[in-house]
Amino acid sequence: MEKAKFGKKLIQIWKYSRRFPVIPIAIFCVLVFVAIFADVITPYPPNEMSLTERLTPPFFMPEGSTAHLLGTDNIGRDILSRMMFGARISLSVSLMVIAIATIIGTFLGMIAGYMRGRVDAVLMRVTDAALAFPALLIALLLGVALGPSFRTVVLALSALSWAPYARMMRGEVLKIRDEDFVAQARIIGSSQARILIKHIFPNVVNTLVVLMTMSVGLVILIEASLSFLGAGIPPPTPSWGSMVADGRNLFQRAWWISLFPSLAIGAVVLSGNFLGDWIRDKMDPRLRQL
Amino acid sequence: MTRFIIIRLIQAFVTLIVISMVIFALARASGDPVMLIAPPMATLEDIEAIRQHLGLDKSLPEQYWVFLQNITQGDLGQSIQNRQDVTTLIGTRLPNTVTLSLSAIFLGLIVSLILGVTAACKFGTWMDNAVKFVAILGQALPSFWLAIVAISVFAVLLGWLPTSGMGSPAHYVLPVLTLSFFMLPIFTRLLRSSMLEVLDSEYVKLARIKGLSERVVVWKHALRNAIIPLLTAAGITFATIVTGAVIIETVFAWPGLGRLMAEAMIRRDFPVIQATVMLVAVVVLFVNLLVDITYAYVDPRIRY
Repeated sequence: MEKAKFGKKLIQIWKYSRRFPVIPIAIFCVLVFVAIFADVITPYPPNEMSLTERLTPPFFMPEGSTAHLLGTDNIGRDILSRMMFGARISLSVSLMVIAIATIIGTFLGMIAGYMRGRVDAVLMRVTDAALAFPALLIALLLGVALGPSFRTVVLALSALSWAPYARMMRGEVLKIRDEDFVAQARIIGSSQARILIKHIFPNVVNTLVVLMTMSVGLVILIEASLSFLGAGIPPPTPSWGSMVADGRNLFQRAWWISLFPSLAIGAVVLSGNFLGDWIRDKMDPRLRQL
Repeated sequence: MTRFIIIRLIQAFVTLIVISMVIFALARASGDPVMLIAPPMATLEDIEAIRQHLGLDKSLPEQYWVFLQNITQGDLGQSIQNRQDVTTLIGTRLPNTVTLSLSAIFLGLIVSLILGVTAACKFGTWMDNAVKFVAILGQALPSFWLAIVAISVFAVLLGWLPTSGMGSPAHYVLPVLTLSFFMLPIFTRLLRSSMLEVLDSEYVKLARIKGLSERVVVWKHALRNAIIPLLTAAGITFATIVTGAVIIETVFAWPGLGRLMAEAMIRRDFPVIQATVMLVAVVVLFVNLLVDITYAYVDPRIRY
């Protein structure tokens, strides 16, 4: 009897969280808060080494101490502090990449959908090529050519991530460009730019927001992969991906070095995907098949 | 159909030219090659001599033309790292990557077929939810971490399999498993949704009414049609596999193309990166061409 009640309650909570994803939103709030206030709230500077405290396990382990809640790495840097600064990297990279991708993708996609014909054909072939090309390769290429830096990572990730936006925006514009209100705007003599910005854009903004939320997780994941390979933001700047790489060879002795950052990546990407789904259902249920 | 193929071929060729231009431009932006080659004590005359020897005193269009000629003759330059010909380097590494990724694609396809079809047939049950959960988790967890955990558990802790390298069949198990996990979530989700759609169609209902066994209906009638939409995912899958190969080969010290690239990245070995990116671009274009043609063949509405 008790058990059945408990199960019912769990299902209720699950259903409620589907309607309003408390946990993903909470995780994102924490991420943003930590990223903004990393300087103030970290217990140690992220690159402060302490050779006497090398490989300290997290606090819940027998030899662990509360001085380093999540332990330290092989040169005695505090894992928690590095993760907090890593949050800043993940968030700023993904925000910038998404902003650039949105601007370029929306612009090209709307032009292609509105102009149609030859412009559309050329733009869509370029988009197809960009969609099929592995982002990691461009990042490696740029990393070698220009040297790994924050700027290179943002450039490399934006170089291809505009493509889904262009594709989606084109489809949306194609759907509404022949609507009556667009024709009326044309009749009263609005310029092409005015029609695109004032009349068409407000109608595609929902789709855009959905796509933006859905790509947060993906961008963070690719940035982590890049840093893991050493093609991301160069050390000693802490990034979750490079922290996992640091702990790679020590996984047996000191699993905490790579476990906690990878859990952070997983949690943030997962919440990003959930949030994307939720916003999509709220704003644009037509996209559910995606 | 012939016209369609010819147009697509020309488009692919133009794309290739554009990509080669981008790579050439980046090669020039990556720094003065003379400075990398010239010994530290070189005089200005020496540097000028090397510049002339490499043809860097010519105009940019001329240099680009030489670059193209070299590529078409299979001369991709030398690795800065060890002066080996990039062509031979790629030649020795490529087969290893091909065997690894083909086995991973094969395994990933089979597993996602089973998972996707099961989830669609048991729509809404705990099995469906379990598959969905695994797919969502698989898309979120960093795969490089999964590879590290797999090594720690199966190779180090249990000692069943080798940690890294290549040699016996046992060396294949972990890399293939983890690489196939890259494509599993995408394929399973796609197959599940397309299968759900097909299972709802009239001809599946007819097949059921005819009294065919559920097994034949699902695996023969429905699956055949549900697979077609997966074709569109072939391009994306290829990109995922390339990305995956770079990461998995690095983690498992697999002597393939991906590891070559990762190493070249760390040493800033531009000729190697340039050649491998060019190679992947050719394969990407070829795969997309094949997909387009197959699609046009299956669905005549796409043709021009």
